[in-house]
Amino acid sequence: MTAAAMVRRARPLLGTLVEVGLCEMPEPCAHSQAIAAAFAEIARLQALMSRFDAGSDIARFNALPRGGSIVIDAATHEVLTFAQALSDASGGAFDISVGSAPQGWRLDAGRRLHKLADRARLDLGGIAKGYIVDRAVRTLRGHGCTAGWVNAGGDLRAFGAIEVPIVLRDEPHGGTRPFAQLADGAFATSHFGAETRSRCSPSGSAHVSVAAPLCVQADALTKVVALSGDTSHPLLARYGAQAWLH
Amino acid sequence: MRITLASALAAVSAAAPASAFAVDYLSAEQAAKLMFPDADAFEARDVTLDAATLQQLDAQGIKARSAHWSARVAKHAGATLGFVVTDAVIGKVELIDYAVGIALDGSVKQIEILSYRESHGFEVRLPAWRKQFVGKGAASAIKVGEDIANISGATLSCTHVTDGVRRIVAVVAAARRSGALA
Repeated sequence: MTAAAMVRRARPLLGTLVEVGLCEMPEPCAHSQAIAAAFAEIARLQALMSRFDAGSDIARFNALPRGGSIVIDAATHEVLTFAQALSDASGGAFDISVGSAPQGWRLDAGRRLHKLADRARLDLGGIAKGYIVDRAVRTLRGHGCTAGWVNAGGDLRAFGAIEVPIVLRDEPHGGTRPFAQLADGAFATSHFGAETRSRCSPSGSAHVSVAAPLCVQADALTKVVALSGDTSHPLLARYGAQAWLH
Repeated sequence: MRITLASALAAVSAAAPASAFAVDYLSAEQAAKLMFPDADAFEARDVTLDAATLQQLDAQGIKARSAHWSARVAKHAGATLGFVVTDAVIGKVELIDYAVGIALDGSVKQIEILSYRESHGFEVRLPAWRKQFVGKGAASAIKVGEDIANISGATLSCTHVTDGVRRIVAVVAAARRSGALA
């Protein structure tokens, strides 16, 4: 696939710049419709999962008293289910309550989310962006797109017959440098420093990058690697992922 | 999943520019057409906000930055469909051009990023660095050349863009109230 036949669009979403790149499609208008649908899906999921949006599943949960429960969207349920699995598999290191009350929430067999502790506050900042990138890719494919990528400010997924060059951005100092070529998979980088909410285990400022088949895995696993400082963490192999500290 | 590290890509590393990074997405005209596909004309308007309007904006907590703004008025058979305003914001290391489409009821219809420039760091604040991009990317913006690199790093904050959108919404509303933008 030659890069000359790419169409790229970007919009401010998910608190960052979200870029969609597509190989051109046979019908001239098809890519515009596909891109519009992908951005609409991203906006819909953001409204469900942002803790800043009062009507979101997450904000409604955070506002609940102990013992309360709400019915959540299937998409939020899917993210929380994966978050629970990662928490269990990482010995609680992956924690979407960000320390407020790791045991303070529970999903039941339906789509009901229960609050078990008053102080429990959920924050999907470490996982939802990757999930939403995956969903946007699904939307693009549903519109007949065969190859392209979605990049939400560093949470990236490439699909189809295209190799995407990745450059890393140096957060504290600015500037970029070439890092890798990615095909048919996902890549995420997180920066951990004095100003960030999660801390990297080796103290100081660091970037953690993870490549994985799905973006939700890459996104969430950067936190597991950062917290453990272990680029050979057993969870990586389970998801077919690789990690780098840099 | 297939990932090849750059260290194994000697040619890529050697050919890579020091650290500048730029993407053109759309020209202002292309963005306007995308936002208002039914428009048969776009009228360029220069808007000058008077002192009283600037004070009103200030009272709303909006710094208009300038009294002079340019807008495109989307028209269909002579009737106004909405407005498109373009602007640029400077972040820590990036310069972002963007366009905001505003519907007749004053709400944001669509936001499109027009171009993104990542500097090595400090240069983003130097006029000479920014000047090199003036007038770039209008004709061929929809098709991108060989450089399709994706940036991965800490999440780029879009606070500057969201603040800019809020400012444009307020400026357009004020300009319409004062009759400067009919």
